[in-house]
Amino acid sequence: MAAPAIEIQRMDESTLIRAAQGGDERAFEELVRQYDQSVLRMALNLLRSPEDANDIYQETFLRVYRNLHKFRYDCSFHTWLYRIVTNLCLDVLRKRKVRKEESSTVSTGDGEVDRMDAVREARAHGDPQRELFSRQLDGRIRVVLSELTPRERVVFEMRHYEGMRLKAIGETLGTTEEAAKNCLFRATQKMRAALGDFT
Amino acid sequence: MKCDQAARLIPLYLYGELGFDEEEGLEQHLDGCESCRVEVASQRRLHDLLDAATIPVDDGMLTAARLESRRRLKQEPRLRATWWSHIGDMFSIRFVPAPVLAQSLGAVALVAVGFLGARIMPGGFFPRSSQGDIADVADPVASRVRYVEPGDSGQVQIVIEETHRRTLTGHADDEPIRRWLMAATKDPADAGVRVQSVELLKSQCGQADIRNVLLYALQHDPNAGVRLKALDGLKQFSSDPETKQALTRVLLADSNPGVRTQVVDLLVQHREDQMVGVLQELLSRESNRYIRQRCERALHEMNASPETY
Repeated sequence: MAAPAIEIQRMDESTLIRAAQGGDERAFEELVRQYDQSVLRMALNLLRSPEDANDIYQETFLRVYRNLHKFRYDCSFHTWLYRIVTNLCLDVLRKRKVRKEESSTVSTGDGEVDRMDAVREARAHGDPQRELFSRQLDGRIRVVLSELTPRERVVFEMRHYEGMRLKAIGETLGTTEEAAKNCLFRATQKMRAALGDFT
Repeated sequence: MKCDQAARLIPLYLYGELGFDEEEGLEQHLDGCESCRVEVASQRRLHDLLDAATIPVDDGMLTAARLESRRRLKQEPRLRATWWSHIGDMFSIRFVPAPVLAQSLGAVALVAVGFLGARIMPGGFFPRSSQGDIADVADPVASRVRYVEPGDSGQVQIVIEETHRRTLTGHADDEPIRRWLMAATKDPADAGVRVQSVELLKSQCGQADIRNVLLYALQHDPNAGVRLKALDGLKQFSSDPETKQALTRVLLADSNPGVRTQVVDLLVQHREDQMVGVLQELLSRESNRYIRQRCERALHEMNASPETY
C-alpha cells in the first residue's frame, strides 16, 4: 500500500527505493526529484543543447522506471543512476564525433541562431562587455570541449561541474580511479592549452 | 621534486585528488618554486573561468522536463515490484479468451470436476495443516506439491507446501520485528532485503545479539553494500575486543577495497601494539594505494617499520 505523502517526504533514500520497488508511484516521484535537477544540469553542460539534455532526462528516468525492480544495492543509487545518464550522454557524444556535429547553432529563416543564447543571456545580466567576453569564452570552451574524447569530456564534467570524486567517477564509468585520473589530466591539459590566453 | 613532476600533479592538486604524500611533496616544491606557483595560480583562474561557463538549469526547463516525464511514464505499465511480485508472476495463470463453444464446454467440465472432487474429498481439496488456522495469513503466494501418495480405497494423499504472505507492523526494536529483521539479514535471495534489515538493526548495535548479526554480515555477506552497512553500525564498537578481531580479519580478507579502506581507518585510530603486525602483514599484500599510505603513516606514527625483518 502506498505511504501518505508526508511520510514519503520524510523517507530516507533506501526506504524510498524500496517503496518505489514495491510499486509506490509517489515514492518513485520523490526519488526522481532528489536527482533530476543534477541529471538535467549534467546533460545540458555535457551536450550543450537544451533539446538533447531534455531527451537524456526523459530517457534516463524512463529507464530508471522500467528497471528499478532490478536495482539490487550492489552500488549506490547515485552510481546506478549516473551510470545510466553517462552512458546515454556518451552515446550522443560518440554519435556527434562520428557525424562531426558539435555546434549548437541551427539555421533559421533569420540566419544562424545559437540555441544556447537564451541560456547565456541569463548569465550576462545585460552587461554588453561581459556578454561579449562570455560569448568568446563560451565559443572557445565549446571548441575545446569538442576536441576532448567523449570519455575525457564526461570525466571532466563529473569532476569539475558535478564535484564527484575520481573514485566514484571510475565506479560509475566501470573503470579504475587511475584511468579516470588520466582522463581528467588529459582534459585539463587540453583546456589549459586552448584557454591559456584567457587566464 | 622537479618541475615536470610538479606540472603533472598540479591539475589533480587543484581538484584535491592527490594522496597525502604526493600533496606534501608538491607543497614543499611550491614553497621553493616561483614558476610552479605561477602555474598553480594560472590554473586556478582557468577553474574560475570554467566555473563561470557553467550553464544553469532554469526552473522553466526543469518544470517542462518533469511534466513531459510524468506524461510519458503514465503511458508505461505501472512500476514493477520486486521479488514478491516475481514469485506471484511465476505462479499466476494468464487467461487467454477462448471461443464461446470452448468456454461453455470448459464451464461444464469445471462443474463436473468440482462435483467429483467434492465426492471423493469431503474434507476439501486443501485440508488445513495440524497447526491450525492463522487468522492473519493471506492466500498462498506460492505452492508446490511435495509428494503424492495413493491411499486405501482409491483415495490419494497429496502434501502441498505453501508460501504465505503476511504483513507485520511495528518498531524495529519490537521483539517480533527484531527477530524477523535478524533472520532477514541472512536472506540469501535478496541483497536489498539484507541491506535494509542491517540498516534498521544497526541503531540497536549495543545489544549483543544484534552486534553478532552485524559481525556475521560484515564477515560473510557476499554483497559489499551489506558489509558496508554492517560496518557502519559496528563503527562505534571498534574498541570492543570481539569487534576488533572481526575487523582485523575483514581488513586482511575482504575483496572490496571500499570495505578495507573504512576498516583500516577505524583500526588505525587505536594505535595499539598488536596492530603493528596486522598493518605490516596488510602492507605485504595490499594493492590499494590509499590503504597502503594509511598503513605506512600509521606504522610511522607508531614508530614501527613498514615491513617485518
